[in-house]
Amino acid sequence: MIPTSDRISPAPDTAVRERLRRLSRDGGFVARLALAVPLVSGALLLVQAGLLARILHSAIVGGLGVASLSGAFAWLGGVIVLRIAIATAGEVLAAWAGETVKLNLRRALVTTLLGRPPVWTAARSSGALSGLVVEQVEALDGYLTRYLPAMVQAAVLPLAFAVVIMPIDWVVALLFLVTAPLIPVFMALAGWGAEAASRRQADALSRLSGYFADRLRGLTTLKLFNREAVETEGVTAASEELRRRTMRVMRIAFLSSAVLEFFAALGVAGVALYVGLTFLDLVSLRGTTLTLEAGLFCLLMAPEVYQPLRLLAANYHDRANAMAALTEIAAQIGEVPSPVSSAAVRPVVSSARRSGPAGLRLADIAVSTPGGRDVITGIDLDIRAGDHLAILGPSGGGKSTLLEALAGLREYRGQISLDGVELAQMDGGLLRHRVAVLGQRPSIFSGSIADNIRLGRRTACHAALRVAAQRARVTDFADDLPLGLDTPLGENGLGLSGGEIHRVALARLYLRDPGLLLLDEPTAHLDPATEDAVLEGLLEFAVGRTLVIATHSPRVAARMQRCFRIAAGRLLPAPVPAARKPAERGAA
Amino acid sequence: MRALLYFLPLFTKLTGPLLLSLALSLVTLAAGIGLLGISGWFLTAAALTTAGAAFNLFAPSAGVRGLSFVRILSRYGERLTGHNATLKLLSELRRWLFAKLFGLVPVERRFGRADLVSRLVADIDALDTMFLLALGPITSAAVVGVVMSTLLAVVLPGAAVAYALGFGSAVLLVPAALIALSRAPSAAANAAANELRRAVLDGIDGHQDLVLFGAVAATEASAGAAALRLAGAKRRVALVGSLATAAVQLLAGAILVATLLAGLEALAAGRIEGPVLAGVLLAVVASFEASAVLVRSATRLAGSAAAAERLVAVAETEPAVADPAVPSDLPPGGDVEFAGVTFGYEPGRPVLHELGFTVATGECVAIRGPSGVGKSTIAQLLLRLVDPQAGVVRVNGADLRGVPLSDLRRRVALMTQDAPVFGDSVRANLGIGRPAATDAELWAALEAVRLADAIRQLPRALDAVIGEAGRSLSAGQARRLCLARTLLSEAPIIVLDEPTSGLDAEAEAAFLADLPAIAAGRTMIVITHAEVPATFSRTLSLRAGQVSEQS
Repeated sequence: MIPTSDRISPAPDTAVRERLRRLSRDGGFVARLALAVPLVSGALLLVQAGLLARILHSAIVGGLGVASLSGAFAWLGGVIVLRIAIATAGEVLAAWAGETVKLNLRRALVTTLLGRPPVWTAARSSGALSGLVVEQVEALDGYLTRYLPAMVQAAVLPLAFAVVIMPIDWVVALLFLVTAPLIPVFMALAGWGAEAASRRQADALSRLSGYFADRLRGLTTLKLFNREAVETEGVTAASEELRRRTMRVMRIAFLSSAVLEFFAALGVAGVALYVGLTFLDLVSLRGTTLTLEAGLFCLLMAPEVYQPLRLLAANYHDRANAMAALTEIAAQIGEVPSPVSSAAVRPVVSSARRSGPAGLRLADIAVSTPGGRDVITGIDLDIRAGDHLAILGPSGGGKSTLLEALAGLREYRGQISLDGVELAQMDGGLLRHRVAVLGQRPSIFSGSIADNIRLGRRTACHAALRVAAQRARVTDFADDLPLGLDTPLGENGLGLSGGEIHRVALARLYLRDPGLLLLDEPTAHLDPATEDAVLEGLLEFAVGRTLVIATHSPRVAARMQRCFRIAAGRLLPAPVPAARKPAERGAA
Repeated sequence: MRALLYFLPLFTKLTGPLLLSLALSLVTLAAGIGLLGISGWFLTAAALTTAGAAFNLFAPSAGVRGLSFVRILSRYGERLTGHNATLKLLSELRRWLFAKLFGLVPVERRFGRADLVSRLVADIDALDTMFLLALGPITSAAVVGVVMSTLLAVVLPGAAVAYALGFGSAVLLVPAALIALSRAPSAAANAAANELRRAVLDGIDGHQDLVLFGAVAATEASAGAAALRLAGAKRRVALVGSLATAAVQLLAGAILVATLLAGLEALAAGRIEGPVLAGVLLAVVASFEASAVLVRSATRLAGSAAAAERLVAVAETEPAVADPAVPSDLPPGGDVEFAGVTFGYEPGRPVLHELGFTVATGECVAIRGPSGVGKSTIAQLLLRLVDPQAGVVRVNGADLRGVPLSDLRRRVALMTQDAPVFGDSVRANLGIGRPAATDAELWAALEAVRLADAIRQLPRALDAVIGEAGRSLSAGQARRLCLARTLLSEAPIIVLDEPTSGLDAEAEAAFLADLPAIAAGRTMIVITHAEVPATFSRTLSLRAGQVSEQS
């Protein structure tokens, strides 16, 4: 089968090809066994054909009846059952090993993806990355469970059969020996022809085949421009154009199946005619006379000689699919990760835990975009342990960038020291223990509200959870829900508003015991009354901790001890706004 | 399986090509059976004959050569016609899906965040190969079974019943049992795959938080556990498949032995001649070619049925909004009014709460607010992609629910947050906004968004292919191209939803600064989280479901 999925994959590079070759090794002993077992059942085909030929010979030439052939019949039945049992065992083993390979690769992929810096993953589509782990790895299945066994059988069995037949009749053996290896050669030639033809059309083809997915993704835009009818026709026309072009390539590509059929038919017809003519003494290329048993055996084996090649041809596209999948994985993440051995798992270093407010010192800090443009430069700041300060400034001015650098999430130039230790040299676990961060877009995971809050501390007891939820004013909306804090969130659960998400994320922080709190616009989504309430809880928690808040809100800034402003990438001192009258509580 | 019937009308459109490919596949099978059968007969007859050179060679040798030739040609033809029919089916399926999905826009919110498009494409692919890989081979096998049983009934009656029973079981019972037995492990595999996908999506979407809370290992573990369950379920699916293959092969073996037994008895009784027996036996062996593919076809059939179910589920979703039964006219002008609008994706939890504001014709107004606050919902309401639960949205005083949708879309043009650059020429990309636009108009629009110079430098200018398949534009250029497309539409009201997403601060400021001049008399509503230049008429601030005027 030629792939009907009309994607034309780019030429895979040698690294991917090499990785594909190594893939089967990840399956270990079972995978090797799965490749060897079908050879045994293949060998039993010889026995089966031999028994069948003997029975026919004995009955037709020798005139023996069923009764006197019962022994041979018992053998025949036994061999058939045994052969099928072994072949089935081979399939089961191949599936087992294939799943092992896929499982290991999936684990390695997840480890690699989550081991990348969050900035890297944030810049990519989560749908595409999850597709790598689920669909692309699954696309290796056919290669592992069908193509590889077929490959081994095609390489060994036709030649082995020919060698066995050699002592029986050298002409038939020679016929097999010549035609069987010729098939892959001619199929490859036809395949190359197809490849050349498709390469010439590759440009147009890849544009056409992307068309459908492309238009599906832009469906809303097309609809809003009243383009329903035109674009539906366009998709149909592109599909039809694709069909015409594909068929042009297929006309050549399918020559390979005609070649296979040509040689297989030639084999059967050649054996039949040669053996028949030998019986009729019209051909005499051998010294001894040929028995009917030997003749029938050769004829019965003729289709079997070509069967492994047929199997390989049927599964040939599995290799292309696997190659395309690995190429896609390599294109998205730059490599095809190798399975992680359990010994290589990073050891957890226990670090001395300390508590109390953290001091922070920044010296000549600069952060630039991946493009090399400086977002912030020359920032010097000394934050005493227990200080509460706000950073103000327009959107896009660099507030978030600065917080991310302080949280160790972004590369920076200059020195940042936390508790007197350079941030870059700090153990990751200790850093996470000392610093709690609320980003601008906190995430909600599938699970209940309580599960989401417990991300802060998995072992938190119900009472602690409740206190944190109350402090972040999560209970204000959660208690109105029938399931309260146990309400499921995420894809199939409740959708929270931006303000509610921020409050859940704040509750997470309240389950921890950090010395430094870095909060990026924690109250941006809230109405003034809720903002006041949330701020109240925050300041309660922040007693005895250092607090840095990036904010637009004068209400928040008014409650801080110091204020700064980012302008043109520089950090400047700013006045603390006058305190405002508390707003009346209203609906959030 | 019932979902497959849903697609029957599409299949019947292609009856001709599908039947041709089926017929050719039957010819191929028949030629194979005939070739081996005649060979067996000829070989045995030659061994037994005493006629020597007087043996009639012509018929068998012509038969063998003829059938070989037929088989080669019909195999080639079968492949070609089968693929042609499949690709035609693909066109039909795509047209069908595309037309269906248009009624369901916006699609993303309804069907989850995982890449819906790839799933749909995969489902369509699973469905279009259904005939070629599932129905065709199963039908061929059934026909071969019936024909061979009938022939045997004439030549070797003792074997006909065994053949019919054995082959019938292989064609009907084994696939049925396979589909029934693999249902539970397949469902388990699907569930595990979805869990795995969710774990990875959670891990990627919430990566930063997981790192910050030291919870990466836990996510890795839950993804690993889902992958392990997936492997287990897949192994069970494979086991059922292997057992089904074994069953088909055992049936073939039983048929072979039974035919041989019946043949030897008939031979002893003189009801059949030796050469004919050998020919029949080899023909039976050759006919197993048809049954060998049954298991794979049955698996495909089950897969296609599952794909069909998912597609039907998508297709039968109710559209969110419908055209009014009694449409009223949309008075000319570009006024926009939201009055007491309450809307939430879940009942009882409004995103917008009694929202009210007006924008007069010709104003350039920004709506600001942090992400997730419901800014895009305002755009969706104005384009009537969703309807409010309370309150009313008006354009020039007309309630949108009474206005024909196509009229509304000619009046209001929206550039969505994720407005795409299509993999097509610049001209085609812009033409979506105004299909009949002249080159001068296209250049004017490009000029207005300051993209003309960049496009002029492309090799074929307006005809240069851009997007994924072609020359890629920078993020800023892509947004500007989408803006040009939106401006080209003759709509008097332009809505831009986060037009600067993906741009850095400098490009963002430059982009927004250009907008009031570009609007040139049209009403423009710009939804953004960015700082708004002073040249805008007004800025509305959206917070907690309501807007307030910002100074």
